Amino acid sequence: MSDRRFVSPTLLACVVVIATSGIVYELVAGTLASYVLGDSVAQFSFVIGLYLFAMGIGSYLSKFIEHALLERFVEIELALAIVGGFSAPILFLMYTASGAFRATLYLVVLVIGALVGVEIPLLIRLLQFRLDLKELVARVLALDYVGALFASLLFPLLLVPRLGLQRTSMAFGILNALVALASTFLLPTAHEKKWRLRFSCAVTVAALSLGMVMFERFALRGEATFLGAPIAYATQSHYQRIVLTRSPRTTRLFLNGNLQFSSDDEHRYHEVLVHPAVAALGREPKSVLILGGGDGLGAREVLRYPNVERIVLVDLDPEVTKIFREVPVARELNRDSLHDARVTIKNEDAFGFLETCTDSFDLAVVDFPDPGNYAVGKLYTLSFYERLRERVGPRGVAIVQATSPYFARESFWTIAATIEAAGFRTLPLHVHVPSFGEWGFVLAGGEGMGAPRALALPRETLRFLSDDGLPGLFLFPRDMAPMPASVNRLNDQKLVSIYTSEWADWQR
Amino acid sequence: MLSALGLGWLVDASLPARRTLEGAVVGADLRLGHALRDGVDRELPRAAPERAEVVIVGSGVSGASAAWRLAASGVGAELLELEPFAGGTSAWGEDGVVAHPWGAHYLPVPEPTARAPLRLLAELGVLTGWDAAGRALYDETRLCHAPEERLFHRGRWHRGLESGDVLSAAEKDELARFHERMSVFSGAVGADGRPAFAIPCAESSRDAAWLALDELTMDAWLAREGFTTSYLRWYVEYATRDDFGADLTDVSAWAALHYFASRRQRTEQTLRGSRYLVWPEGNGRLVRHMLERSGARRRHRHVVLGVEATRTGVAVEALDATVGEAPVLRRIEARAAILAVPGFIAARIARGARGLIARPASPWLVANLHVTRPVEADRAWDSVLYEALGLGYVDAGHQRMGLSEQTVLTYFRAYGGAEMAATRGQLAARRWGELAADVLVDLAAAHPELGEQTSRLDCMVWGHAMPRPRPGFLRATTQPFEPAVLIADQVAWAHVDQTGLALFEEANTHGVRAAEAVLAQLGVAASDSWI
Repeated sequence: MSDRRFVSPTLLACVVVIATSGIVYELVAGTLASYVLGDSVAQFSFVIGLYLFAMGIGSYLSKFIEHALLERFVEIELALAIVGGFSAPILFLMYTASGAFRATLYLVVLVIGALVGVEIPLLIRLLQFRLDLKELVARVLALDYVGALFASLLFPLLLVPRLGLQRTSMAFGILNALVALASTFLLPTAHEKKWRLRFSCAVTVAALSLGMVMFERFALRGEATFLGAPIAYATQSHYQRIVLTRSPRTTRLFLNGNLQFSSDDEHRYHEVLVHPAVAALGREPKSVLILGGGDGLGAREVLRYPNVERIVLVDLDPEVTKIFREVPVARELNRDSLHDARVTIKNEDAFGFLETCTDSFDLAVVDFPDPGNYAVGKLYTLSFYERLRERVGPRGVAIVQATSPYFARESFWTIAATIEAAGFRTLPLHVHVPSFGEWGFVLAGGEGMGAPRALALPRETLRFLSDDGLPGLFLFPRDMAPMPASVNRLNDQKLVSIYTSEWADWQR
Repeated sequence: MLSALGLGWLVDASLPARRTLEGAVVGADLRLGHALRDGVDRELPRAAPERAEVVIVGSGVSGASAAWRLAASGVGAELLELEPFAGGTSAWGEDGVVAHPWGAHYLPVPEPTARAPLRLLAELGVLTGWDAAGRALYDETRLCHAPEERLFHRGRWHRGLESGDVLSAAEKDELARFHERMSVFSGAVGADGRPAFAIPCAESSRDAAWLALDELTMDAWLAREGFTTSYLRWYVEYATRDDFGADLTDVSAWAALHYFASRRQRTEQTLRGSRYLVWPEGNGRLVRHMLERSGARRRHRHVVLGVEATRTGVAVEALDATVGEAPVLRRIEARAAILAVPGFIAARIARGARGLIARPASPWLVANLHVTRPVEADRAWDSVLYEALGLGYVDAGHQRMGLSEQTVLTYFRAYGGAEMAATRGQLAARRWGELAADVLVDLAAAHPELGEQTSRLDCMVWGHAMPRPRPGFLRATTQPFEPAVLIADQVAWAHVDQTGLALFEEANTHGVRAAEAVLAQLGVAASDSWI
């Protein structure tokens, strides 16, 4: 036995790693539970409670381990590496493959908690000959808490956004196995046993590494039915639940579970949202107002016009604009439009913005979620369009996302009638977006506005639109042809009930 | 590994902190209010006498309307107000994240007969023009945004006050029959060619066949007409409490039917949606505008003790109880005075005055709850709980455009029973904690979490909130439709007690009428009447 007062820094680092992994597994379980089951407060509460309880069981059970402490410690670390490391993939699989998600979740939490519970008592006993109990408990527990802080900060800030849940859990599995390996060097034990233990460690590390490599395929199978693809980013803002998913082929954005775009075909939607309006304007817009559209995809299209001087983008939810400014896959999609020096982002309510704004704009792109509730519905009323008209003036043009003229025909024509009642001349148009179906827009302008005949961009710039294709956008087949509709007003918001009943009919 | 507790802390920190509820009983100073009744020490020091053109006692809707009308003819006024705030029962508060009402909180779009209110709305820019048929058009952002109201019935919220899907077939039939009946009444015209039900009610028919309805309670009328389901009775009583603070058994059927049958006006704008004009501060917005427009000087915490005739007009004697200063007696000489106060107070101020009517008055409790609660996209302006004690609450932040977690909810409760004086006594004795608990308990069925979400809950007790039109109230005066205005030389009276229905249009019209009577007395060349 060497100097009683010496404990190597590597060993202390191991304590931090152990503590961090324990918390990370717990956070993975809690996060998954709230993704899948909802009600994050309840899910985190259950997971934490069960985890702590299981730790208690583990601590108690540790007294039954009397011999070969290091071997047991290494084995426990390896078990933890495997169960904890594979916990996220296992839980994803259980969610998609069977109905036993909840049972599996609690079982996994119970096992991890118990293993973690054995860990620290064993470690203290392993080290008790090197330090006084006073010193030992103080150091080990202090580092344990440091690890907890570490995990709590790393998890939301770095791990989930960068690695995702599955890779995070596997990476910490590997770290756990490496701690096991390190402890065979740092702590005394019989020579021949050491090699057996080191071999097990190596196998575990290899298995988890393979898991990491296989991740893409594995994740696809495991998460396929989870909103359609693996989650790249998910958050709950003040206003809505935002989920960005990414599979090898497509990136999708969901707000409150409703698909906002799919990278497969969003070009159809956004090209039609912007370019016919610019063509109808008859000149290149200098100042552009984008209402909604915090994803920056509309802005991306607007920025194709070199003479644009200023874009004001108003989106209520700062979380949405933050994601599309910061998350790499989102920035790739909007080609960093939200970082363009000409774009000013305002996170406020669009109606409130119009009430106070005194600037005028050549082009207004109005791209709100569908009028499925009264809060969004306000943005489809006569009062709203009257204010919009003041901002674009008689020479400006506005284009309004107006839900599907096929699935919600009366809603679409109600929006068109309301825009017209605000004093605009209107030109309704539609496009087929495979992930949405038939989708409609209303082009609105002054008396002189005519149907656009030619795009104001060089040929081959766009993927979907061409000059030949333009007239077709404005033709409405009989099953979505104009129908009588009344004006949608703030004090009745008939559109909300029309819209909800029309969509409910389709989902029946 | 205790470090898991660290996570517990993280989650805990993200939950809303449990708060302690704060609040107070605010408003109406009972002791000062009763100073007139209980007697004032006439030996108090006297302030230097002052002069004013016209003194108006009371700064509620009637008083503010009178000042507004006088100013339009170039006559200045000084308002003396008992309370530290203006507005009477249209008072409002401005603390917290959004202004909020302390009383009357909406105005249905006025009928063409309500000419003075229409003029006021035009002046405010709320009335923006007239349609081809000569009907008023409004700034739509001021009409109550949909959804206007919701009802908590059988454990969940329903859109509107008619919870269609939980009503029995009998209840639905009866509701339909009631609406049909009311639509007939809306179009009914008396033998004198006037509509059976109109607002101001002075425009209603004087045909005895219709006036006979004043002999019945609404309860008796419903029974007579075979309306018996509990839902319909609740629905109608909600209305009589809302407008008159009265239960079905203590309200005149003639008055109650005005709620349903006097508002006929429908335009393209209001055909399918709300016809209520609402502001965060309720009708306080209208009062504030009239006070500002009039430029009248206002003195608060003044108890007017008497008005007497002088050689040149009137002298008003008042106790100035300004907080932080020693009370003094103040005498203001003026050319005329307008008493914009209830009949029982006007009678004490102007002894021997003619034609005053003292009416029984309903007590009310109003509470403002400053809340932080999760954003919800479909919240209504008015939330009503079926068979609750109170009338529910309105959301002062409803007309804001953005979504916000913070708002102020104004809770109302009218004490509609016949024993008004006893209720007043009990309410006056109730401490803040008890009143706050009453409010939270009354809303708990729909909002068990409200206490946790409320940071501040203030209460205001209105002992005499509004006259109660009991059966036979039209007979309380010989000329119910042409109430006395000049009650003494150079002294006019303006108050809803004159006709007995506490509606904005009535108060506004009474204020304007009193002002015009004073203008005539002063020999000021008034332009055309605003009424």
